[in-house]
Amino acid sequence: MTTPIVTQLPREKHRREPWEEKLTAAGQAGKAAVLAFVVLVVLFPMWVIVVTSLSSRATINEAGGLVIVPPGFDFSAYIAIFSGGRVTRALAVSTFLATFGTAVSMLLTVLAAYGLSRRGSFGHRSLLFVFLLTFFIYPSLIPSYLVVTGLGLKDNLLALILPTAVSAFNLIVMRAFFMNLPQDLLDSARIDGAGELRILTRIVLPLSKAVIAVIALFYAVGYWNAFFNAMLYIQRRDLDPIQRVLQQYVLAGQAPPVRGDVANLPGVTSVPPSLAIQMAVVVVTILPCVLVYPLVQRHFVKGVIIGAIKG
Amino acid sequence: MRHPLRGTSASRRSFLTMAGLGVAAAAGGGSLLAGCSRRPETGGTATRLDRLADQLPTRQPLELIRPDLEVPAPAASGFGSYPGNLVRAIDGQPGMGGGPIRVTTLYWGPTPPGVGSNAYLDTINEQRLGVVCDFSIQDGNTYDQPLTAMLASRDIPDVLVVPSWNTIVPRFPDAASTLFEDLSGYLGGDRVLEFPMLATFPTDQWRHCFWGERLRAVPFVNDNPFGWALYYRKDLLDPLGAGLPATAEELYQLGKEITDPGRNVWAFNDIFRYLKMAFGVPNNEQGYSVTAAGGVVHEVETEQYAAALEFARRLFDEGLVHPDSVADPDADPKQAFNSGQQLFLQDGLGAWKGMQLEQQGVTPGYDMQAVPVFAHDGGEPLVYGGGQPIFYTFIRQGLEPDRVREVLGVLNWCAAPFGTIEWEERQHGFEGVHFDERASDGTPINNDRYHEEYGEQFTFMSGRNPVQVGSPEIPGWVEAYAQWATRAAPLIPQNPWAGFKLEAPAAMPQAGQFVEDAEKDILRGRRDLSELPDVIAQFRRTGGDEGREFLAGALESTSE
Amino acid sequence: MSRTLETGPAPPPAPARPAVRPGPPRRDRSRTRRGRLRRQLRRDWPLLLMTLPAVGFLALFHYLPTLGNVIAFQDYNPFIGDNPLQAFVQSPWIGFGNFLVLFEDPLFWQALLNTLKFSGAQLLLFFPLPIGLAILLHSILHRRVRMVIQSVVYLPHFFSWVIVVTFFQQMLGGAGLLAQQLRSVGLDPPTIMTNPDAFLFLVTSQMAWKDVGWGTIIFLAALAAVNPQLYEAAAADGAGRWRRLWHITLPGIRPVIVLLLILRLGDSLTVGFEQFILQRDAVGPGAAEVLDTYVYYHGLITQQFGVGAAAGLFKGAIGLTLVLVANQVAHRLGEQGIYAKS
Repeated sequence: MTTPIVTQLPREKHRREPWEEKLTAAGQAGKAAVLAFVVLVVLFPMWVIVVTSLSSRATINEAGGLVIVPPGFDFSAYIAIFSGGRVTRALAVSTFLATFGTAVSMLLTVLAAYGLSRRGSFGHRSLLFVFLLTFFIYPSLIPSYLVVTGLGLKDNLLALILPTAVSAFNLIVMRAFFMNLPQDLLDSARIDGAGELRILTRIVLPLSKAVIAVIALFYAVGYWNAFFNAMLYIQRRDLDPIQRVLQQYVLAGQAPPVRGDVANLPGVTSVPPSLAIQMAVVVVTILPCVLVYPLVQRHFVKGVIIGAIKG
Repeated sequence: MRHPLRGTSASRRSFLTMAGLGVAAAAGGGSLLAGCSRRPETGGTATRLDRLADQLPTRQPLELIRPDLEVPAPAASGFGSYPGNLVRAIDGQPGMGGGPIRVTTLYWGPTPPGVGSNAYLDTINEQRLGVVCDFSIQDGNTYDQPLTAMLASRDIPDVLVVPSWNTIVPRFPDAASTLFEDLSGYLGGDRVLEFPMLATFPTDQWRHCFWGERLRAVPFVNDNPFGWALYYRKDLLDPLGAGLPATAEELYQLGKEITDPGRNVWAFNDIFRYLKMAFGVPNNEQGYSVTAAGGVVHEVETEQYAAALEFARRLFDEGLVHPDSVADPDADPKQAFNSGQQLFLQDGLGAWKGMQLEQQGVTPGYDMQAVPVFAHDGGEPLVYGGGQPIFYTFIRQGLEPDRVREVLGVLNWCAAPFGTIEWEERQHGFEGVHFDERASDGTPINNDRYHEEYGEQFTFMSGRNPVQVGSPEIPGWVEAYAQWATRAAPLIPQNPWAGFKLEAPAAMPQAGQFVEDAEKDILRGRRDLSELPDVIAQFRRTGGDEGREFLAGALESTSE
Repeated sequence: MSRTLETGPAPPPAPARPAVRPGPPRRDRSRTRRGRLRRQLRRDWPLLLMTLPAVGFLALFHYLPTLGNVIAFQDYNPFIGDNPLQAFVQSPWIGFGNFLVLFEDPLFWQALLNTLKFSGAQLLLFFPLPIGLAILLHSILHRRVRMVIQSVVYLPHFFSWVIVVTFFQQMLGGAGLLAQQLRSVGLDPPTIMTNPDAFLFLVTSQMAWKDVGWGTIIFLAALAAVNPQLYEAAAADGAGRWRRLWHITLPGIRPVIVLLLILRLGDSLTVGFEQFILQRDAVGPGAAEVLDTYVYYHGLITQQFGVGAAAGLFKGAIGLTLVLVANQVAHRLGEQGIYAKS
């Protein structure tokens, strides 16, 4: 039984390869300019958002909306959000969803993507169509609700995982990456008697770290942002994922959409300005994403087979 | 800031091309399809209430409470401040030993804790009601999705609170008959006196609660029967020395005077709705009214509307409208008003007190007042009034009669009017737990625990007879309100359809939406004023005439 | 877990060199199609088994409720019958009536035209951007710098559209930052946010700002999969930076590009919802109404579910056709597209 050994290239280079030319000064300047522009265009709004989240009502009034230059820092928006421990609890729920849900999804997706990655395999096209078709024909609100509640999943976190566990888009992308691997490698392993599962775990996965990381990120982000299904199926407030909880803080500052106005919106004088809360909500949502990306990015390396030991 | 005058001929041309395409598609392919097809049903029903008189609950005001400032109906009466001594209005408990009542309601804000970890809920459940109300609270802004899912899958709790804007949909009458309990037997006529707090509701609000000719809901009484008010920043306007406008032209001149984009000051937000009142555009029921000749006409077809539209368009053309409102008619205009970038504000009456209270702590001297209603030519203005209840509370069909009574008893408790001990407990919670001190006039000052636990749970379950209450923090406010309302209330015209429960055909709100969209386009210069006749024609074709026939037919049935 | 191939006699223990012929030992009889299929099944059943769980999930949570789309052909009343399921069966059948309601409305065609316009602009203007940015990012030498920039550039993806539009309004709107600055030096600020003619460009810019960084992720992964030895070999042959880009890099990620392009085409009737609903009033439905907002306003808000379902089916049919055609075109160009010919 041959067992290929797969390893990775050394970490990303610090310097140029010997065969790579140096950029001209103009080229370097151009590159730097483009990158600087891109980064600025992203960071400036982030700056404004963070600053506004730390602004008091008076500051916001004066600025007429978003604040650019902060006169000082006012943490009342964050205090309002984190008091009572609801946000912390919701962060825990969402973390659970993102990790467990991603694990479930990845298991299903990797298996199915590999299962469909052999050209000409039995039922190949039909099964592919089963997945492809999900883009074009999809269920609407009421039937989905009936199925999920019919399975007894109300107030159950599984209602936020199972219905969206398989994403045809992610699956098709992963399959494409799998199919781009050198097929003769897999074929020779098959000849040598390796089962499909072994080929998957020993050869394909180590060579596909990049796409695995990317798809896992896509799923994780999807679970992190889950909102709609939570709104429909979760009544217990201690099971609310983070987006639901944060939305409610955003809504607290908004009047009901009716002329006759309910006269008794409570706490109207003690809630921090809704704009600051909205911005604080954005910051709390984004922070984990900033921290997670480097973990993903380090997998963007190519795996290389340096040999095969036969035994 | 000038807006571009869009190529009006281009938009008209492209619109007609689209219309042509539509006709071609229908003619060509349609004939193939039409052979085995018919359109979905979209009719409506009108029910005369005099036939249902025995089901309409009688009204009996509570003698225990007398307001300080009497204001003509339908406006809410005024109280100078929090009443000194509260009265107990209800003896005993409505609970009859039943199990927990499951309630689904909504709230705009962070969901409060549930039963068992919420002193506000637990105290009321145990000590005042004698039965546990178990609340499931949904987000106010996204309520329509879970609501649709719940209704269509027939998965509803014992008590369901539904906003009135979610009932203007086809099939709701079917939903009502299939899912909700018939309350005529419990509340019709004098039977409502068994629940004296519910009996204080105005009859006009009960009429909206009929579906399929039976009484099905308890209303949350609309505490603001007025359409729109025109507010202004007195603190910013007075120094300019200008007086208040009393005609449309004066409003325009004032607007021109105060607008200065260089200093970030504009005059108005989108005040078209207020202007419609000022120009006397008739509107009794969803845009329709009855002409002197007895015909039914929609506001968009009247010449008053054309005049109002032209005037409003002038305000936009000359840049007197704040850019945020130009960009997004649904944007919150209060922000600009509060920061002084916009000196006039059109908004509902309910916004007044809250904004004044909130902003005077931020901007010293903040003074928000309402312009007395005026007509465009200085004559007698029109005021839009009447209004649906804000929420409807339904009880699930199939409950035992005793259980229904138990639930109604709970609703009765929730409906205790202002000035009673029950009202204070429902609104402010309990002394020592939710508030430790009171303001100078006795208003409880709520603490953080209150804000954690209170989520309008009992408040939305049932309405109360509306009142407006002043406070020492905003001296003079309730008097200003009473003055404004006293002038405005008698100017609300009689509604010829007041005696009907109307369930509109689907085309009516759609056509109304179409007019609204066209309005926004014309005001902002994307379409020309001269296109108004086209808009009217299109409106009539896509539901306007159907609406007219529906309403006219309802009236005709009275003369039989 | 050790396994042997199922078919035929067990192969001899690992030979010193790999077998000459790939594939399992052939049975002598039947070159019939049935025989071939059976052989395939015996060979591939592990693969099928792997695919099964995902298919099961889809069957239950996606395709089962999809049956509810039958209301596109009904005058659906959720309250007929004894229970919600019966309502699907007992609601009256109206053939293509819902579709007629759609097709006879000139506003529907306007929305469709707008949708195609925005889709086209997205494909031409937006689609290439993440590719270019990914290549640029990939070429940054300094590892730290590259990491930081990549982490930053994909953040706007997490802003909700409400934030994005609010932001654009505050910067570019009539009372926004840009306008204020221009006015303070005496210039007349241009109308951006409420200009129907500029709307196409505005919308594409918003989408670019929000999603370019996110789009680079997939391409970065694809770039990482290109064999670096190819670059070295090309450089040794005298190929400069641009030729390497054209002959190695781009062909290396071409399959992914084509795949995403086809998927995007299939999705071309969905250009977004929230982004357009938020700005519909600013520029008017003439410029901003797209298929999904049209369905929302004219179908769902009035709970005419049948019309909404009909629109969904229409979208799906068109999208599927586009994908099939695009895939054929890809085959002609030598790419494998989403699925190969065999």
